[in-house]
Amino acid sequence: MTLAHSVILKIQNISKLHGHFKALNNISIEIKRGEIIGLLGPNGAGKSTLLSIISGASTSTTGTIHLTGEQIQPGNLQLRSRIGLVPQDFAFYEDLTARENLIFFGQLYGLNGTTLANKVNEILEIIGLDEIKNDQYPRFFSGGMKRRLNLGIALVHSPDILMLDEPTVGVDPQSRNRIFEAIKKINTTGTTIIYTTHYMEEAESLCDRIAILDRGKIIAFDTLENLLTLAQSTINFTIKNDRHENFGLLRKNLPSLKESTTPGSYSLTSCKNPTPEIINFLVNGQIEIINLNVDSPNLEKVFLTLTGRHLRD
Amino acid sequence: MQSLIIAKKELKLLVRDKLTTTVLFALPFSMILILGFLLGEGFGQKTDDLMRISILNLDEGKGLDNKSWADHTIEDIVSTPNIKVEIIQNKQLAQNLVKTGKRAAVIVFNQNFSNKVNVCSFLSTGVNPFHRDGVYLEKLDVSIIKDTKQPATSAIIESVCQIALLRIVMPWMIGQAFEKLGDPEFIELLGKEVSLPVPPSLRLLIPKEKIPLGELLELASGKDVALARNYREKVGAGIQTALIGQFKNYNLTGKSWASLTRSINPTETDKTLTLYQNEDGAGILKRGAIRYQILVPSFTVMFAFSLILISGWIFVAEKRQGTFDRLLGTPVSTINILIGKFLPIVLISLFQILFLLAFGKILLGIKIGQYDWSITNWMTSLIFLPFATSICVASFSLFIGILAKNETQLALFSSIPVCLFALLGGCIFPWEMMPDNAKNLSAFTPQGWALDAFREIMPSAFDTSTDFQLILKSSLVLLTMGLILTFMTWGIFERIRLGHAKA
Ligand SMILES: Nc1ncnc2c1ncn2[C@@H]1O[C@H](COP(=O)(O)OP(=O)(O)O)[C@@H](O)[C@H]1O
Ligand SMILES: [Mg+2]
Repeated sequence: MTLAHSVILKIQNISKLHGHFKALNNISIEIKRGEIIGLLGPNGAGKSTLLSIISGASTSTTGTIHLTGEQIQPGNLQLRSRIGLVPQDFAFYEDLTARENLIFFGQLYGLNGTTLANKVNEILEIIGLDEIKNDQYPRFFSGGMKRRLNLGIALVHSPDILMLDEPTVGVDPQSRNRIFEAIKKINTTGTTIIYTTHYMEEAESLCDRIAILDRGKIIAFDTLENLLTLAQSTINFTIKNDRHENFGLLRKNLPSLKESTTPGSYSLTSCKNPTPEIINFLVNGQIEIINLNVDSPNLEKVFLTLTGRHLRD
Repeated sequence: MQSLIIAKKELKLLVRDKLTTTVLFALPFSMILILGFLLGEGFGQKTDDLMRISILNLDEGKGLDNKSWADHTIEDIVSTPNIKVEIIQNKQLAQNLVKTGKRAAVIVFNQNFSNKVNVCSFLSTGVNPFHRDGVYLEKLDVSIIKDTKQPATSAIIESVCQIALLRIVMPWMIGQAFEKLGDPEFIELLGKEVSLPVPPSLRLLIPKEKIPLGELLELASGKDVALARNYREKVGAGIQTALIGQFKNYNLTGKSWASLTRSINPTETDKTLTLYQNEDGAGILKRGAIRYQILVPSFTVMFAFSLILISGWIFVAEKRQGTFDRLLGTPVSTINILIGKFLPIVLISLFQILFLLAFGKILLGIKIGQYDWSITNWMTSLIFLPFATSICVASFSLFIGILAKNETQLALFSSIPVCLFALLGGCIFPWEMMPDNAKNLSAFTPQGWALDAFREIMPSAFDTSTDFQLILKSSLVLLTMGLILTFMTWGIFERIRLGHAKA
């Protein structure tokens, strides 16, 4: 196994209790170096709690987390420079400029001199804040700019793992794209990414593997492709000159086909996407298709299938 | 090193915060000025219950014990319980003080006061200064400059003067008179006036029914002049002894009220004799006004501790902004973070205290220290004490800052050390104006200790000595309070760091 595929973060049996309330319930996952992991779950699922424990800012009630073999604990300060956390809420000094913020945190991680200056310039460029005026304080930044600065500060010490807690909440599409590009760029240098969100589209478009978290539990953890197989897709179609023998034939091949109240309209729901099969059949049978739409599976459906609830309420 | 990075950042934030400059420097500055204008001359003086008698002493003569009678009279008034004496330096000043209504009356002992008292006597040749109500002031060359707008007070002052003069002049006259009793001349006079009956058995020798005492003594001396004189003196002494025996409770030769009345030495009362001081200051700012000696230390201490609110505010803002969590997320050790937050507060506090003292010195002309202080004394007063105060301020700031979860809590928590303690510590109302119980409470407040010490380095009109023990003790108490709080803060900090508590 190459280094690129070695496990960087090993989370074992992590639970977190708030009184009797289980914010996290026996979580065990392994994350490989260089992966972009999506942590998808509705509000209150426990995403921030998990990140906080990984970052060492708070303790878990049970379980352990190892970063390349070293156990993460709040008292273990050395490990902190290997982790970067972009908190859900903005966290920077509103009365220090973007550059001053980056320099300050860079210094706290032991950077100085030209190394620090170069790093700060590099980050300002990545997050697209290199062209703002030097006397503009973040207090007066737009939401998107604030988000980007929030991200930048977590990058200044070049962490092995970058964790982002819902980094796109309340940003315009332009800033969101910038953030995505920044994340991809950072990932190409080998940084492992844990990306927390409750937008399934983000997880779908960005992540190599996605962990679905609900009520403190990981209910699924796999590649997008594999996750989508967990959900069923529905195909609706209407055909012209509906003839009974055609339908009979169809029925025979696809037992779960349902006829709708409109004549000639059918729908089919299945785990495997039946579209190619149906189109093949209709084309071969020279049946004219008036209308065909595929309600393809997505993470929302996966979540619905797994929990019986919607991802966003 | 990392603590210095944090300290630098904190300092930058503090300085960029315009509120800081306002609250820390401009506010105490203007409070002192405004109160300086509003408060009368009396503020800042010991609010004792002593009645003040102002005296101008121009007496040039000498009286009993080679001391002027004016000095004797002043001594007498000063020894009167509940009365203090203030000596006015010159006549012009005395007239001014009365004219401007600052003094109701000034008693003036003029040049010839002693000479006049010296010639007071019951003898026909002497001056009799008495009349029905007391003493003729003009006969003794005493005058009273009175403010006609304050008749009641000046009447009281005059009456104090009258009684004092009676107590001075009366024993003097009696003593003199009593001495006259032993004078041979008096006995000669007596010898002429007193005739003794001659017993029948002696009629042979003295063929008279009565014989004057003088003749009898001459007869006894057998024309020996010296012997006759000796007899006369003996009679004189006899009369004096008899009188002393008769009036045992008095020392008729005493010449002072105390010895005349054989008073057991009175328990030494607090004698307050002071020189007049211009307590109202000069110029628009009333430079040098005595009230600044109180206002400057009070507000210096009060606003030194109000830094708690500002630095606490920055701490809470740090939590609200999430940067506190970010700070805790760095590999910097807890103690370094703590030092980084501690140092700038100490620096600003120190700067603020010294700034306010300098402002008081330069603009308001307050007195700080004494010319005879040693270097160590100066260091104790102007470096160690402000430093200890700053340490205490910084400790309080961080303690409140770490406890408060948001701005509301901060405002609530900090009102205790900033407002309540300032009140109890005597920064708002001087201790002199507070009930005794409240004074005891001030020992629990850092402001009480700090103010105690700061007032010590700024001598007031009545208390010009400096108690360096007190300054040292106060500084040590402030340091100890700071140390304890910092220790507790560190504990809470560490708990938050280890995930056992929430920031
Ligand atoms: N200090 C706390 N005390 C009690 N409950 C908490 C505390 N912190 C978080 N929780 C609860 O834990 C759950 C998970 O919170 P969080 O991790 O913030 O969710 P997410 O980030 O997925 O929205 C929520 O239901 C929240 O109310
Ligand atoms: Mg969250």
